[in-house]
Amino acid sequence: MYNPYSLQGKTILVTGASSGIGQSVAIECSKMGASVVITGRNVARLKETFDMLEGASHTQIPSDLSDYKEIQNLVDVCPKIDGVSHNAGIAKIIPVKFISQENLEEILGTNAFGPILLTQLLVRKKKINNKGSIVFTSSLSGVYCVHYGESMYAASKGAISGFAKGAALELAAQGIRVNCVNPSIIQTNIFKNEGEIISDEQMQEKINNYPLKRLGVTTDVSWAHVFFLSDASSWITGINLPIDGGYILI
Amino acid sequence: MYNPYSLQGKTILVAGASSGIGREVAIECSKMGALVHLIARREDKLNETLSLMEKGEHQIHVCDITDDAQLDELVSSLPVIDGFSNCVGVAKVMFVKFLNKKVLDEVLNTNAISPISLTQKLVRKKKFSKKSSIVFTSSLSGVYTVHYGDSLNATSKGAINAFAKSAALDLGAQGIRVNCVNPGVVATEAAFAGTILTEEEMEEKQKYFPLRRFGKPSDIAFAIIYLLSDASTWITGVNMPIDGGYTIL
Repeated sequence: MYNPYSLQGKTILVTGASSGIGQSVAIECSKMGASVVITGRNVARLKETFDMLEGASHTQIPSDLSDYKEIQNLVDVCPKIDGVSHNAGIAKIIPVKFISQENLEEILGTNAFGPILLTQLLVRKKKINNKGSIVFTSSLSGVYCVHYGESMYAASKGAISGFAKGAALELAAQGIRVNCVNPSIIQTNIFKNEGEIISDEQMQEKINNYPLKRLGVTTDVSWAHVFFLSDASSWITGINLPIDGGYILI
Repeated sequence: MYNPYSLQGKTILVAGASSGIGREVAIECSKMGALVHLIARREDKLNETLSLMEKGEHQIHVCDITDDAQLDELVSSLPVIDGFSNCVGVAKVMFVKFLNKKVLDEVLNTNAISPISLTQKLVRKKKFSKKSSIVFTSSLSGVYTVHYGDSLNATSKGAINAFAKSAALDLGAQGIRVNCVNPGVVATEAAFAGTILTEEEMEEKQKYFPLRRFGKPSDIAFAIIYLLSDASTWITGVNMPIDGGYTIL
């Protein structure tokens, strides 16, 4: 069956695959025919994702990407790949005056340093095939807009979007493309973790701010990842794609 | 076979389907399972496109969309559609001091006013199904960059781009999404007709693109199909640069 968006024959590394967007990317990549290498911190939940993958040619490698040794280990054992989908990320709401070096290091470490160092090492160790594609789950936050208490999160996502452009330019000579997807609120656990801050009622109120009158679901983002990972997007590099139900229009 | 990007069961209207990007969109839409209605001025060229498409109940409509009466007639003859890809466009290189009302009218009419009129009439006549998607072929020009002598194109593409965002907001409540693709230089007949560049200069020009080539019509068509499909149902009001990395430099 004709399908320019197919990932048949490609091997894709997916980080943050133990839950949320990363889990959805892993599943959708497998359904589109890719061999998927999944990684995440939580061994039990990574196994859950692994069991949800379609087909048999997949690998799971638990790792904590905030630890450089574990990044090195991941890259060592990772086979040659045609694409990387970076999704490992954490969200924390802290007003500027309460920022500490500790939480700054934690958020920037996971959301920016980890994916940047992983990319660096994958390139250095020649693990990404020519015509490969790298996709980062960035955010609206820090690139298109911010909310109160989001400054650290915004800083980390702004950093990754900036890095993606630099990497897109440098890696273009090898035909490797680098793009970001920039979701607004997707219904995943990353927001449930903020339970004390965002109540269900506030959530409902938020929905009214979206022209399409709903929050995102994980496949809204993972299908954008698949598009960027596929050959259908082979002339697209260095862009940020908002996935937000029209939120930034207003 | 699992495919979230499929257009199976959808009826798609493609304006400017006689050549270039529009032709490619019509062909690719048919391959992705859509029933396609094709619009253009030249019947022979429309039939040529049709002959390149996957067989189906596709229909051609000979229509000059800059003519309001023809547009009314066209819209009333159309069935309910699930998507609209506008690829009608002219490009004219002219320096600011040589601009005149006539060329301004021509370029703005073709690139902005007519596609806006067509959209308005489709909405008004309730031709969009719930959960429809509209994709305008805008440009880098006027939105991200410009070139010398590009002011006419930039003005018209900036206009359609701005319209798309407003329409995305207005039509969001009906579930109709509106997006733009913003191509860099795509190697089509029209793009290079009347070019004064030598082959060497063309070669040189490609080096400005980090991916070291001009675009192909299919590069743009595949992005348009992604935006027409249900794989992008939470994306509206965006610009998607498709430019081989041109705008990162």
